[in-house]
Amino acid sequence: MKNLIYSIFIITFISSCDIIEEPYLNNNAGGVDTSSNQYVKNILIEDFTGHLCQNCPDAARELEAIHDVYGAQIIGLAIHVGNTFARPYPLSEAKFTYDFRSKWGEELDNFFNITDAGLPKGMINRIGHPNDHRKDKGQWLASVGDELNKEVIFGINISSTLSSDNAEITINTDALKNITGTYKLVVCLTENDIVNWQKDGAVEDENYIHNHVLRSVISSTWGDEITPNSDINNGDSFEHTYSINLSDLENFNIDHSSDVLFLGNGQAGDWNINNFGVVAYIYDIDNYEILQAEQISLSSN
Amino acid sequence: MKKILITVLALIINISLIYSQERNLPNIEVKTLDGNSFNIQELENDNNPIVISFWATWCKPCKKELNNIAEVYEEWQEETGVKIIAISIDDTRSMSKVAPYVNSSDWEYDVYLDSNSDLKRAMGVSTVPHTFLLNGKGNIVWDHRGYIDGDEDELYEKIEELGK
Amino acid sequence: MKKIIKILSLLLCVHSLNGQNIGEIHGDFNLNMQSYLEDASINAVAADEVIRNNSYLNILFTRNNFTAGVRYESYLNALLDYDDDFKGNGIPYRFATYSTSGLEITAGNFYEQFGSGLIFRSYEEKGLGIDNAMDGIRLKYKIGNGINLKTFIGKSRTYFTYADGIFRGIDGEIDLNQTFNLESKTKYIFGGSFVSRYQQRSNPLFELPQNVGLYAGRLNLINGGWNYFGEYAYKINDPLNSIQQENVNYASGSAFTSSLTYSRKGFGITAEIHRADNMLLLSDRDRIGKSYILNYIPTLSKPHAYSLLALYPCATQAMGELGVQLDVFYKIKKGTILGGRYGTKLNFNISRINGLKGGNSMLNDQINFTPELISFSEELYYSDINLEINKKLNKRVKYNLVFANQTYNKDFLEGKTPGEYGVINSTIGVLDISYKIKKGHSIRMELQSLMAKQLETASKKEEGDWLMGLAEYTISPNWFFAVQDMYNYGNEDASKKLHYINLNIGFIKGANRFEIGYGKKREGIFCVGGVCKLVPSSNGLNFNITSSF
Repeated sequence: MKNLIYSIFIITFISSCDIIEEPYLNNNAGGVDTSSNQYVKNILIEDFTGHLCQNCPDAARELEAIHDVYGAQIIGLAIHVGNTFARPYPLSEAKFTYDFRSKWGEELDNFFNITDAGLPKGMINRIGHPNDHRKDKGQWLASVGDELNKEVIFGINISSTLSSDNAEITINTDALKNITGTYKLVVCLTENDIVNWQKDGAVEDENYIHNHVLRSVISSTWGDEITPNSDINNGDSFEHTYSINLSDLENFNIDHSSDVLFLGNGQAGDWNINNFGVVAYIYDIDNYEILQAEQISLSSN
Repeated sequence: MKKILITVLALIINISLIYSQERNLPNIEVKTLDGNSFNIQELENDNNPIVISFWATWCKPCKKELNNIAEVYEEWQEETGVKIIAISIDDTRSMSKVAPYVNSSDWEYDVYLDSNSDLKRAMGVSTVPHTFLLNGKGNIVWDHRGYIDGDEDELYEKIEELGK
Repeated sequence: MKKIIKILSLLLCVHSLNGQNIGEIHGDFNLNMQSYLEDASINAVAADEVIRNNSYLNILFTRNNFTAGVRYESYLNALLDYDDDFKGNGIPYRFATYSTSGLEITAGNFYEQFGSGLIFRSYEEKGLGIDNAMDGIRLKYKIGNGINLKTFIGKSRTYFTYADGIFRGIDGEIDLNQTFNLESKTKYIFGGSFVSRYQQRSNPLFELPQNVGLYAGRLNLINGGWNYFGEYAYKINDPLNSIQQENVNYASGSAFTSSLTYSRKGFGITAEIHRADNMLLLSDRDRIGKSYILNYIPTLSKPHAYSLLALYPCATQAMGELGVQLDVFYKIKKGTILGGRYGTKLNFNISRINGLKGGNSMLNDQINFTPELISFSEELYYSDINLEINKKLNKRVKYNLVFANQTYNKDFLEGKTPGEYGVINSTIGVLDISYKIKKGHSIRMELQSLMAKQLETASKKEEGDWLMGLAEYTISPNWFFAVQDMYNYGNEDASKKLHYINLNIGFIKGANRFEIGYGKKREGIFCVGGVCKLVPSSNGLNFNITSSF
């Protein structure tokens, strides 16, 4: 009897151990087959970060790596937040003087309590709210995998026209299912290829490239209802248009930095409109889950 | 509604009955300094009182208490037959220092190791030092949390009361 | 429904009438309240709630060989030094256990540790905000003849939920002297353990182990005053679930710890060495943070109780470190010149912890890279050399003297950028003297001084030197009054040359203890057993109750 017990123990335990030998690569690499549908499920990764946060670049690289695997289905948004990691140094210093923060980033942080839990943290389509929405970078991949398997409920098309610093942005939303509830549309501006200081592990990198930095939310922070009706039918289509002046928006951030933000110094300008992108997403107001997201470049359309 | 009231009443009576019972030591194993297991319920002292003191090598007031008692321990034993048991809650960080500390301090106590805090939890000890007094039948009759200079006098009074 | 109630109450009544041995109920209660005021000088923030509160109530029921227990926890809202995921009220801890002829069965929550904890330790430390209790089934079986088995299956608690990984473990211990009736004077105890975590993950690029196993073996030899303990542990590959090639590392991990102790009357010595390489076990492979750590590499340094000695505490680097420690205890006999009337106690302690040569297995891309086994030439993390003298002068006066020299690699241990805070070397002196005024009345004073110097240039301003004074008046058995001041007079930043004053009054009666205090706390690292948390600076009142029945 004793021997039997021992053997059971030994068999159970020794076998529950997976030592992986080379090659480590998995065979079924690649994204989801999307060829047959007009719309695919896109996923918004909101990467909460700061230029003084030495572990944050690793999270940004994880985002890029996920993007490399799944392609355009992955949309990134780098949101610089917090007094500890995102505050700029005073202008008298030679480095880290740029203020990447914005009014909208602070509002999102206050609502989702991100910096309280430490950076880097991300939200994957904001799933898990209110207890499990703040994801360590190690959780991103698994969450993205879960999201990719969900059905597509909305499709989004963005178009924009840009003349000098005025832009008109039109968002067309198609419902692909019969669905009941309240859904809101949020439209943001992002900037790529900003070369500026960043702490990266043990290094202070002067030439770090900051991508998809949140610059402005041109809807309200919590968005505009896609329709006042709570019943939405398959095939319904909605159009929203936003007219903006980029200089005004830039000046707003500069003033907000110097007047409102903790230790803000007004160094929030120098926007390069050629590197701007438009990100639009739709979320369910019941649980904040983002159901669809889309992005385009601001200038090329 | 009435039924529920009666039930609640019955429950309360039950609990108070339970509570009025004597408090005994839990059925928990600790380790001796020479590596043997020891069930704390097997403690005995020929129907004389036993003192159980929870301590740790990193705890200043604990060591103060046990060192102060060590000076008068012989006297206490002659007068009352009391036996003192020192339970160390040192975890594996400082467990290896228990024996050297005890021996170099000349303690005559029986020392046991509770490195996974099983006994500590079972006896409701949240901070050390915490001292329990057991009567000759092994029931806990008094306990005291913390130590300040002079507390050993109160403990001794309680031990003496048991002898009467 | 009514019928059920009737039967239930009848049963209960019968029970209570029937037996002497109905069982026992015991418990303990703990309340910690703290108010938070804004204090810009120390960067203390006010809490929106003004007062925050952590409370616990444990209740245990015992009857013969059956025990059941629950713990109610309340965080409304949690104290600022706790993770804010501790939120709300609940009963996150409940268990039932019984034992019969050597077999003990526990269902529900339990705390467990295998060996010295290298591959598994589930424990609670309220001071740190850590409670990774397991939830599942545990069996302990005393087979007899000195052979003991423990096995469990369960998930590990984090905050009010359970981490994703499922754990299975088994541990066996054999006492050879008992098993084979050895007549030998030397005691031989061998132990072995195995733990495995299952967590389903799919990665589009890399093969990931779904089951991650850890093994350990240990040996304990005891002969008279001699005691040797050694344990070796091994962990199989446990790469991150990432798609960045450089993060997905298939290196295995290992650790060992070894200690030799000798003691006899008036003298004791302990020598220890340990080494850890890539030996972090997480309850959820994707998460970071102390709440998810489920093993324990005991820290090799003396746990200090005096505040300035613990200002720069050591924390174990499970990812890679090598440490050594020596402790000598000696009592100078009574009646000698140095011993005086009561004898003098000495404790000399030295410890030193540094990195692994070549970095740990994880930081290197090569799979088969193994850092050098023993090398003391690498970057120093922490060192401490100290002498404690404990002496009773006469019936009224006792004192404790400590001299220490510590080196603290702040940049590394606190995860800062190299060159930010540098490496701090501090020389510390402590005098702790108590005087008995009359029966029950005592006064105690502490005077501490810390002199710091920077071993490497740092870009941030230095905190520099500290002084600390404490006066405590106690009336046994009920009252204590204490006032203390920590003064950072050496801070390079003139606006931070601050006093941190604390006042405390306590009342103790039997198993009840009440304490009320007011004070400013410095932002700092607080450690228990080498596991540390960052405590934010604060200014406010606190109120504590501990009680048990």
